[in-house]
Parts: sequence; C-alpha cells; structure tokens
Amino acid sequence: MNSFTVLNGGIFSLIEDFGRFGLCDKGITNSGVMDEYAYIIANNLLQNKAGTNCIEITLGGLKLRANSDCIISITGADCGCTINSKKINNWKTYNLHVGDILEFGYSKEGMRAYLAVKGGFDIPKELRSNSTTVKEQIGGINGDKLKEGDMLSLKNNQFEDYNISLKKDYIPKYEKHLVLRVVLGYQDDFFDTKEIEKFFLQKYTISTQNNRMGYRLEGEQIKCQIDGIISEGISFGAIQIPKDGQPIILLKESQTIGGYPKIGSVLPIDCFKLLQLRAGDSINFEQINIEEAQEKMRLFNSL
Amino acid sequence: MIKYKIASVDSIIIYFADLISKDNVEIVKYNYDLLKSLGNIGFIDIIPSYTSILIHYDLNCFASKTIIEFLKQNLSLKIDTKKEEGRLVEIPIYYGAEVGFDLDRISKLSKLGINEVINLHSSTIYSVYTIGFLPGFAYLGEVNKKIATSRLESPRVKIPKGSLGIADNQSAVYPVESPGGWNIIGRTYLDMFDKNLDGFSYLSVGDRVKFKPIEKSEFLKNGGVL
Repeated sequence: MNSFTVLNGGIFSLIEDFGRFGLCDKGITNSGVMDEYAYIIANNLLQNKAGTNCIEITLGGLKLRANSDCIISITGADCGCTINSKKINNWKTYNLHVGDILEFGYSKEGMRAYLAVKGGFDIPKELRSNSTTVKEQIGGINGDKLKEGDMLSLKNNQFEDYNISLKKDYIPKYEKHLVLRVVLGYQDDFFDTKEIEKFFLQKYTISTQNNRMGYRLEGEQIKCQIDGIISEGISFGAIQIPKDGQPIILLKESQTIGGYPKIGSVLPIDCFKLLQLRAGDSINFEQINIEEAQEKMRLFNSL
Repeated sequence: MIKYKIASVDSIIIYFADLISKDNVEIVKYNYDLLKSLGNIGFIDIIPSYTSILIHYDLNCFASKTIIEFLKQNLSLKIDTKKEEGRLVEIPIYYGAEVGFDLDRISKLSKLGINEVINLHSSTIYSVYTIGFLPGFAYLGEVNKKIATSRLESPRVKIPKGSLGIADNQSAVYPVESPGGWNIIGRTYLDMFDKNLDGFSYLSVGDRVKFKPIEKSEFLKNGGVL
C-alpha cells in the first residue's frame, strides 16, 4: 500500500493546504499553511499541482516510515532532518524506499517546516479543504494533529528517480529581526498621529503567546481613542490593539469577527516570514501604500 | 451613508451604520444576500456582522479602487422593509439548574424568580444578528432588559457543547465545547454546527429564533448530555 505510517507526531504536525475559503460567514476560520512561500516551493519542487496538501511541522519531532517508494520535498525551517539517520538538507527532493525512516529533529532557526509528497496525500477534503483546524476539529485526519499510528495514504502510485534542488538565491534566511510592511486601515482614524508614529518607530518583541491564531507582541503601549468597536470581520494579518496597548497580529486561525480596534494589516507575504520567528525575536513596522502593496502581492501570486 | 475602508491589502470593510439595531442588521443582511447572489468569483470570503460587511477579494479580479466602484454600484441603504421575515426556528432548551450554571446568579441580580427568568428568556423571538467566534456560534438579539447580564468576570475554562448563554442583551448557544464568559442558563440537544448539515450551521443570519423550554426527560431522550 502506498502510504506512510506516523511513528511520532512530533510537537505539532498538521495536514494543511492553502486553507478553506468562503465559509467565514459561518464562523469557520480560513486555516491553511502558515508559511505559504515554503509551502509553494515544496510543491513546485515536486511539480505538484498548486494547492496539493502537505504536512506543516512546527518545531519538529515528526517521524514517519515509508510503506512504499515515493518522492518527497522538504522546505521551511531546518529541523535537522534525517533519512535512516543520515542527515539531509532542506529545499530539495528525496527518493524514499519501502521501510525508510524519515525523522525531523528540532529546528534552531525558523519555526515551521513543510513536507510534501509527489501527488499529495490521499485524504478526503472536509469543508472544501484538507487544512486542519484543531480547535474546530475540522480537516486533516479527524480534525486533529498527527499522532503515532496514523496512516497517511498517498495518491501517487508511480515512482521514478527524481532529484531537484532549489536555487540558492531562492532559499530564505530566517533572521531574528524583521521589518513588516503595514497597510493602514480599519480604525486607523481612531489613533492619534503621535500613537501611529510610536507604532512605526519602536521595536517590538514577539511574546510567548504565538500560535496559528495570532502573534502577540510586546512593546511600548499604543493608545487608541476607543476601547472597543462593534464586532466586525477580521482579515489575515490584521493588527488588533486591545486595551493593554500590545498589538496582536491575527493569522490563519483567527476568529472570523472581533471587537478590538485595529490599526491596519500586515502584508501577507511579510506574515509568512513572521511565522518563522519565535518568542524573543523582534520586528519593526513600516508603512506601505495600498497600490504598492497590491503590486507586491500580485508578484508573489505569480510564483 | 455607506462608508468604505481598507481592511488589508486584499480586503475591504463596508460600514452601513454605527449602532446595533434590528433595522441595521436587516440592512446588512439585505446587502450580504445581494453580494452572495452576484456569485462574483473575485469574492473569496464575505463576512457580515452587526453593522458591517468585510470582503476578502481576489487581487486578480479587483484592485482597491475598482472594488469600491463595483460595490458602490450594487450596495444600498434603502431596502425593501416589507420583505418577508426570516424563517422561524425553534430550539428546545432544558433550563435545569444542573445545566444552567448561572440561573441563580441572574435570578439574584435581576431580583426575579428563576421561573420568571426562564419565562422572559423563552418568550422572546430573537433575530440572528451575526455568526462568528466559533463555527455556527450565532449572536441573538435582543434579550429582555430585565435579565440582560454582563459577562462573567473570569471566563470558564470549559463550557459544554449546546450550552445556552446570555451576555448583556445577547444570547447564544455554544455549538462546541469552548472556554467562555457568557452566563449559562440551559442546554439544547441539537447540533448547532454539523459538518454534514446543509450550510453547516443550524442558524443563518436573519433567522428568527424561539427557545422552547423542555423537561429533563425529553432532553435526555433526544440525546442530551448532562
């Protein structure tokens, strides 16, 4: 049978794809891979169709046994991956053979690694997508993270030797500090100029409260003229400023509506980089106008 | 006047009003239905709320200027108020002390007997104002002023699936087990969110809702869990 057996689910490994769309009006979050860049490259290396499902490995620890020959690619954070205890590199494809053991160690730089397989995993979609949202118990395998004993069937049953690496220039370096570009919007009129200046001038630290829902930052307090708003729709990358003045960047599993004022939104392509940072790393915000921001996104979408 | 505001690089938020009211919810609902009926492939997600609609759009179909032009041609504050009312949905509730953890608190705060609290809650016909927070979590308005109660100061870590709560002048059923700070007054055996349900959510924006008090035996017979 063409499949993998999960020997160890690791810290937090999820079946993901681009996410589930068109259901936010039912309260269902988009979900989907946190780092779309690493995900897209993982599929491109295998010449998979865009949107083919993958495994998102947070921090590491995933261990799989191949029950058939198959081709895989690994991108994103370097978790010190091994095949049969032999070290391998990211941003490359590998041929696996029956009985091979693929094991992820733990990442030192970056937070999330991506494992794709030629043809994808054969898992029925749930509500339009394979993306797992654990809090909703939707997607993936029984709506949960991968666990020891899970079987992952493969769609592809053909195998030919295949070997491709990403050009060095395209391999991202995971820095400890990032500049995130922000499109102002939402309630930006309710922040004094002085507060907006403070927001763009200061350096923020990423707190330990960071997950697929959002990243909470720590810095000098930002004040908004209003405490709360009538609950309204939330977009990917929205920057919420709760009463304590510490921004929260809302991400793939954010609630669909919320009642805190928002100063604007981080560009999705910058969010993908943010999601590789961890607690203690730092960021700065920089303003970008909407036209330029949309141009940058279109460029990314043509990847 | 309808206000358009950038929400992110590929989303726009439309404000129809700045107060929560049944009329304003109807204006939102009318425009939300209209946007859905256009079937435009450039709309990725449309999120209606009390006074606003957020549209996440495809940058291959729209730019920030063209989406506003497009919306201005279609959206309206003048809606036909004579249009038929939303469907009436009845939700059976067991208002027992063992599932209504805060009945006593509301009774004390409102200086009304527990039966009176239940009567006031179950005799109102509510409207679904918006859905969010959790899949299928429907915000219902409006709870009778006499029993409107603010959220618990410290939210509960676990609220059982099907629990019916009050927060200020709104009421809602928890579709799944979740942490939460609403005052819990009863429980239903119905699945408010079901992946296999047509539309996934038992309730939709614009529905009218009535809660029907049931006995413990009926609750249990239909699969209710204490």
